[in-house]
Amino acid sequence: MKWWTVMASSMLVAITGGCGGQEKHYTLQGQVLAKDEAAGKITVKHEDIPGLMPAMTMPYRVKDPFGMKEVQPGDAIVADLIAANGGKDYWLQSIRITDESGRKTAKPHIRHALKIGDPAPEVPFTNQDGKQLHFSDFKGKSVLITFIYTRCPMPEFCPRLSSQFAKIHEDLVQTPADYDKTHLLTLSFDSKYDTAPVLRKYGLAYLDDHPEGFSHWDFASADPADMRQIADAFGLDYFEEDNQISHSMDIVLLTPEGKIAQYWSNEWTTAELESSLRQQAKSSIGHRGPKG
Amino acid sequence: MKGLAGSTAIAFCLAAGTCGLAGCGSADHGEELYDLHCAACHETSNPDLKKQPPKLEGLFRAKTLPSGAPATDEQVRNTIIEGLRTMPAFQGRLSVTDVNDLIQYLHTLK
Repeated sequence: MKWWTVMASSMLVAITGGCGGQEKHYTLQGQVLAKDEAAGKITVKHEDIPGLMPAMTMPYRVKDPFGMKEVQPGDAIVADLIAANGGKDYWLQSIRITDESGRKTAKPHIRHALKIGDPAPEVPFTNQDGKQLHFSDFKGKSVLITFIYTRCPMPEFCPRLSSQFAKIHEDLVQTPADYDKTHLLTLSFDSKYDTAPVLRKYGLAYLDDHPEGFSHWDFASADPADMRQIADAFGLDYFEEDNQISHSMDIVLLTPEGKIAQYWSNEWTTAELESSLRQQAKSSIGHRGPKG
Repeated sequence: MKGLAGSTAIAFCLAAGTCGLAGCGSADHGEELYDLHCAACHETSNPDLKKQPPKLEGLFRAKTLPSGAPATDEQVRNTIIEGLRTMPAFQGRLSVTDVNDLIQYLHTLK
């Protein structure tokens, strides 16, 4: 990355057995985009990590109290990335700040521009059948929305999100009363590639080839300007680079009135999402979630 | 990760990016691409995923791919570029050379 002029030119990757025998150690180089001290996390736009993942932007837990205190959005850093438990658990430690000049131009991170109870924006998007939709089209149902792109290669990101939504869909099929009062919506950041036919094909894979499932789960994309508006409204981060889209992991729940009921960022369980969706379908009153 | 198969001569040809018995490409570069783009799904169990991606050892030794399609370079190339079912497409993110190198490396997985 061009602006990381102070960084070492080569990436040193150390893969060791670790003290617990299951830890792998990598070197992460990147720029800090956001810092959440309360959650003990920083979001880093980082370079390729050979043997682990391609360049992308993602949040990392930090096990380095001093580093967490010192690092600021805009900083270029080098840190040790520890992956444990088969890659399911990972964190940063030994954070070294290599360039602080980015702090001056770092944009303040604004999460969730719309507050709980605010109506969802009236922005058009196009579903897997080429039909133009708005969030208001789902009024009368509680709506769980997530954000992906179909070419996302990271199993812990978009494939996981779509798999979780597939599980929720399958569960709701078993309870018609809740099925009729709920809706799932998967919105793609990548309107250029994720056209209606691509989204239909992608959706069918998660619907076990049952196209009738689209009446309960839409897969859609919006024009870039419209998607940016949606992202700003819901406080999503995303940008495209080298045909890959780096994005935050977010889920939004709408009330049957089309208002924001709850946000999740980075952390949730499928059971938690499903329970909230079902509960919201039975209530018209928005509430602030535990991570909202 | 996986060792190169075949004789030293073949291994040299593959590493040099020339055409070997199984096609054209650099298996060394293919291995780097595999570790970067494929291993996270195909080498690791991901219980959260709707479908577990198949292991790719012996991919070209069987007559058919896990999908049931013929185990040919062309079929694997199409799968990498266009994706298949829940596997993401790599169109626009891997060059023609990258895909050739990746296929060359997949041929070495026994």
